[in-house]
Amino acid sequence: MEYSIIVEHLTKKFGNFTSVDNISFSVKKGEIFGLLGANGAGKTTTIRMLCGLLIPTSGTMNVAGYDVFTQGKEIRKHIGYMSQKFSLYEDLSVIENLELFGTIYKLKRDILHKRILQIIARLQMRNYATSKVEALPLGQKQKLAFATALIHKPEVVFLDEPTSGVDPLVRRDFWNMIYESASEGVTIVVTTHYMDEAEYCNRLCFMANGKVEIIGNPNDLKNNYKVENMNEVFHKISHR
Amino acid sequence: MKSFRALLIKEFRHIFRDMRTLVLILTMPIVLVVLFGYTIKNEISNTKIAVLDYSNDSYSKLFIEKMTASTYFQIVKVLKSENEIEQAFQQGLIHMAVVIPRNFEENIIRRKQSEIQMIIDASNINIATTLDSYGKQITASFQKEINQQLSNIQPFDVSIKMQYNLSLESAYMFIPGNIALIMIIVTALMTSITLSREKETGSWRMLAITPVRQLTMVVAKIIPYMIISLICTVIVIVLGIFMFKMPMHGSIALLSLVCVLFMFTACSLGVLISVYTKTQQVAMILCMLGLFLPALLLSGFIFPIENMPQVIQIISHIIPTKWFIIALKDIMIKGAGLITVWLPLSILSVMTLALMGLSLNKLISKNV
Repeated sequence: MEYSIIVEHLTKKFGNFTSVDNISFSVKKGEIFGLLGANGAGKTTTIRMLCGLLIPTSGTMNVAGYDVFTQGKEIRKHIGYMSQKFSLYEDLSVIENLELFGTIYKLKRDILHKRILQIIARLQMRNYATSKVEALPLGQKQKLAFATALIHKPEVVFLDEPTSGVDPLVRRDFWNMIYESASEGVTIVVTTHYMDEAEYCNRLCFMANGKVEIIGNPNDLKNNYKVENMNEVFHKISHR
Repeated sequence: MKSFRALLIKEFRHIFRDMRTLVLILTMPIVLVVLFGYTIKNEISNTKIAVLDYSNDSYSKLFIEKMTASTYFQIVKVLKSENEIEQAFQQGLIHMAVVIPRNFEENIIRRKQSEIQMIIDASNINIATTLDSYGKQITASFQKEINQQLSNIQPFDVSIKMQYNLSLESAYMFIPGNIALIMIIVTALMTSITLSREKETGSWRMLAITPVRQLTMVVAKIIPYMIISLICTVIVIVLGIFMFKMPMHGSIALLSLVCVLFMFTACSLGVLISVYTKTQQVAMILCMLGLFLPALLLSGFIFPIENMPQVIQIISHIIPTKWFIIALKDIMIKGAGLITVWLPLSILSVMTLALMGLSLNKLISKNV
């Protein structure tokens, strides 16, 4: 079995507060891996450490075959990241944003242009291509941010609550994009608050107070707790 | 290099798409110079003066007549000897004394150099500079008049002596001060705001997970503002020289060197502030309180440092703006070379290197 992410005994402390407490998990290549938990459970901290944005207090992480500590620079070429907060540049156009990130990832000009065309076609943004991003509706923005995170064809993509605040129709579309990427072999780590979205993941990891509560696929978890849907699983776990 | 270029282009796009801010920044130097120039330089009329006429001939009388004919001066005292000058100043009777030497007329007719001395009470700098220029104006027009009658007379030597504030501290001070303010606003303030904006919107994080180095990111962000601040500096200097007759006796190369050096100082301060702040608002307030106000009040820009309490004088030493203004003033007004300005220059260099090291170190080591 090929793993894209292997996390062992990962801990992050902010002063006296332990945000992530000795967690271990691994994610298979091409898997959609959901990180769930209440606010402050440590999901975002975990993702930021995996991206190399935060330095862990202890533990080891291996992402896309590289050690996060020693090969941080290599890893950056092979991961993508997108957060709940739309963080592309609002005053740049759709194309300018894509070009900027494509150039930073050192894509060749012709490849970059081909990809930009593909992305614009896929997102049906032909009419918006040269208009400023601030004119886009939120859902479109988030899809664009996802496409940007994928522009260099990374092996692993981290999505930190990518769909919060987005309407159900766009969410559905967003998840289609996630599936398409996963089918192309991209490993996806996603955090979410929506329990219906949790059902779309291949495997789930429930976190509470910085610890991993349980890891399993949605069906196993439902059977395990003898409930109908993920919402009830979530309640059972968080009120234990 | 390619990513650096892409980031630089992106930054210029941000700036040019926000036309309002750009126009505001570029008009600011004009507004500042005009505002300071005209508020500090006040018109003066009927200034009380004393006259000490050693010649007492027709030309000396003509000159005195010319002085009183203008509305600028009013003779309140006619002195008999040099000793009385100090006395008159001390009693607060006069702001200026005019001394006409012996053989005034004879010297003029014989085409010999003649000298008129003006002693000005410079404890109020603004009044003193105005009196200085009025005195010179009147002398010049007097000279022109005589030249029409006699032709080819030797030009007068007007010797101006500033009393009580010998080097005429902070005359024209508003130009160097304005350059400092502009640098702080454009470089420090704008840099810290734009850097914290990226943090606020999360785009900094997007960039931070790409292979591009933090240093590249920061440098690409700062360069456009450096360019703008230099443009603004040129505007201030040009306005100062052509509109307000600011002297420019020193070398332009040295002046540029000092300005570029201070630009780096301001820049490092801006980066340092942005490292410690998460939002644009906080960055702005910190810049205002931590940089702008000290630059305005403690640098000798408006208020002479010598008149401040000892404690504040000591504090003023750590304000980079103070050293920048000293160097600028020496170069522009006194025409000082590298040897004269080495002290403020090296203090400023050390401060800049320290600040730059500190800010870059903080920036790179910090979690995003």
